[in-house]
This record gives sequence, structure tokens and C-alpha cells, in this order.
Amino acid sequence: MTLFLKMSLASLAFAALQVVMRAAGDSTLIRRLQERDPKALSEVYDRYGRLVYSIIYRIVRNPSLAEDLVQETFLRIWSRAASFDAEKGAIGTWVLTVARNRAIDHVRSTDGRLQAGAMDLDRLENTSLFAQLGTDALSLDRMRRLQEAFQKLTPTQRQVIDLAYYEGLSQTEMAERLKQPLGTVKTWTRSALKLLRDELAGVAIA
Amino acid sequence: MTCAELSDIYELYALGVAEDDEKIEMEAHIARGCETCRLGLADATALNVGILNLVEIESPPSRLKRRVLASIGVEKPGWGWVWALSAAGLLILSLWLGLQERTRTNELADARNQLMNTQGQRDRLNQALQFLSDPQTQPASFGRGTNAPPRGYVFLHPQMGVLLIASNLPAAGAGKAYEMWVIPKGGTPRPAGLFQSDGRRGLHILSGPIDMAALGTIAVTLEPEAGSAAPTSTPIIVASAS
Ligand SMILES: [Zn+2]
Repeated sequence: MTLFLKMSLASLAFAALQVVMRAAGDSTLIRRLQERDPKALSEVYDRYGRLVYSIIYRIVRNPSLAEDLVQETFLRIWSRAASFDAEKGAIGTWVLTVARNRAIDHVRSTDGRLQAGAMDLDRLENTSLFAQLGTDALSLDRMRRLQEAFQKLTPTQRQVIDLAYYEGLSQTEMAERLKQPLGTVKTWTRSALKLLRDELAGVAIA
Repeated sequence: MTCAELSDIYELYALGVAEDDEKIEMEAHIARGCETCRLGLADATALNVGILNLVEIESPPSRLKRRVLASIGVEKPGWGWVWALSAAGLLILSLWLGLQERTRTNELADARNQLMNTQGQRDRLNQALQFLSDPQTQPASFGRGTNAPPRGYVFLHPQMGVLLIASNLPAAGAGKAYEMWVIPKGGTPRPAGLFQSDGRRGLHILSGPIDMAALGTIAVTLEPEAGSAAPTSTPIIVASAS
């Protein structure tokens, strides 16, 4: 099993470029989604479809299942757009979060891991949270910083990040999986997140 | 816990992977309108999405966009888009074909052609497709349990009712049928129709308005062919309305 984030510099540069390309026009797009303009969903797909598929595929590792979950993600975006604050909206952050959560939900349910998780994720998709972020959350500057910060993580730090983001494991579950004391796992996680946070500090989210 | 202590786990909480006790603490801060934690969670969410954004890019098949748009009805429900490479359409179509072959084996050597020409079946399929394409339809997925549990979708619509599509669903067996149940919040299960599986998939539609606000759960049990007034076995499918 690949536990580490595979990040070739080329793919990172490409991802960062994609972010710039889709930076503008979120609030209009959200308003059109709320007005039930199907072309707006088509645009959301054009902007984020590849990333949504990539994130889901990274989690489920199965192309046809990934397609099912991409469809589910966009259906959810379509059916819940009404609750989004079009003035401030950072629709990309919401879309990517919904995508990750759909895939994690699926993995958890097939693992037989507790159903309560599904409700958690649902609540964490509350759109008001994303409305506060502004559209620069995925700015090129931030992405470049984050990319550099990632290079500084140790293999164990990357491993715990990977388990939390792409396998949806809690620290207790990580400790079991890695056969390490909980305290050790917590230290790795805390230090990894602190490093990433600190590197981003100073790059403001508008 | 203090805000400072919680600040270590903002990202984990936003990912839904915080420990239960931490979740409770975190939610207490949110509930009392703690500004520090609110801002901290917003930053954490931005960091989380930034990390997801660094994923290695894979290319989805180009048909996926058509499928996504078809599912919200960009292309009008009808034969045109059934035959487009919509996986959802093909799934429904193939399982419907499967059901027909199962119940009318003798007549249906050329089932596909006949189906396309039979008004009743066309209506049924169109009904399912319309269901999937209406913006008021709310998906709820299910699929938990151990080895190869049934997987699929339940769609809810205030006027059209409930559409259930299950894959990985074994044939019910001689003298048996699957029965769907609509369970209101805090209420007892109400029978919502019988259906069969073709050995892999099952499709069922409960037509008519449903009270979305009162709806708690959709469940499916294995019952005698004639159906039961109340479930007599453990549900094999449980989908919660969100
Ligand atoms: Zn606080």
C-alpha cells in the first residue's frame, strides 16, 4: 500500500496552475447555481472535475467507484447550493471538501466503521464555514508555500497526514494501524500540522 | 479544554477524524460562539483543502462530465440520453432488463428490442430517470456491513417518492422478495413495496409524495413473496435521510 503522498513537482506545478486559472468569478457562479442554471454546474465541473476525480480516486483507488462518487459529489453540490453565501463564496473549497468526504464516507461504510462518521462529515460540510474563507484559500502563493512546506515533512509526518486526509483515520486508529503508541502518533500529527500551518502563516486569506 | 489546547486539532476536527471527546469539546466552543475557534476552524479548513489540492492529478474519462450533467437533467430525460454513455442510465436500464428477463423468461428472447417498444416499461424507466434528474431529489447512500454488502443509492423526492437502486444484491430466492420500508423519525416501519433482484441489482420506486421532514430511514428486508406488514428479518439495507 502506498502510504505516502505521491507528489511529483510537475503535478504540483500543474495543480497550482489550475488554481490560478479558476480563481475568478466564484460568486457569479454560485448565484447561477442557486438559480438552477445547469450550465453553472457544467462550469463547476470544468473547473474542479479533474481535482474532484483525483481526490476521490486517491482515496478509493478504483476508477468506476470513483466515477460513482464524483457523480454523487456533484449531485450534492447541485442540491445544496442554495445554502451557500454567494457574496463571499469560496466554492472550490466546498467542492473539494464534499468530494473528499463522499469518498471517505464510502470507505468507512465498506470497512464497517461506525455510521456516526457519516453524520459528522455531513455536518462539517456546513456551507457557512466555507463562505468565510474567501476565494484566495487556494491562491498560487499559498499553494506554493504549502508545496514547499510538504517537502520539509519527515516520512512519518507525511504518513500520518496521508492517513488522516486520504483514509479518514483518527489518531487512535492510526496508532492501531501503525502499531505505534498513541502519544507518538499524536506527536507526529501535531508537529506535521504545525509545520504546515506555520509555513502558511503570513500568507493571508483574503 | 481551552482554545489553545483545541487549536492542535482544528484540522483533524474539520476532517471528521478528531477523537470523540475532542469533538464534544470542540462543539461546545462552537456552540457558545467562540470566535477564536471559529477563525481557527476556517483557517484549518483552508489548510485542509490546500493539502487536498496537492493530490496527484488523474484524468477522469470524458464521459464522466456527460454523466454528471445527465444526472441533474441537463440533457432532457428520454431515450436520447439513456443511450448516451450515462452510466446511471445504463445501470437502471440493465437492471430493469434483468428484472424483466427474470419474470418473463419465455417471452423475452429479444427482451431488449421489446422493452424499447413497450410503453409501460418506457414509463417506468422514464420515471426513474426523471427522478434522478430533478433538482429536488436528494441522494442518500448506503452500504455498510461485512463482506460485499449491497451498495447503491436511495433518492428522495417530496412529490415523486423514493427511488432505490441497489447493486451487489443477491437474488431473493424461491418464495421470497425484498421489501422496502419507510421509517418516519421515531416511528414504526411502513411497508413501501416489494421488489426482486436479478442476482446482482435491484431497482424499486415508491411513487407518491413523501414527508421529507418526518422521514428518518429507508430500509430493506428479505420477506416472504407476499410481503409482510412489519419487518420479520434484519434489514440488509439501511439508508438515513439527511
Ligand atoms: Zn474556543
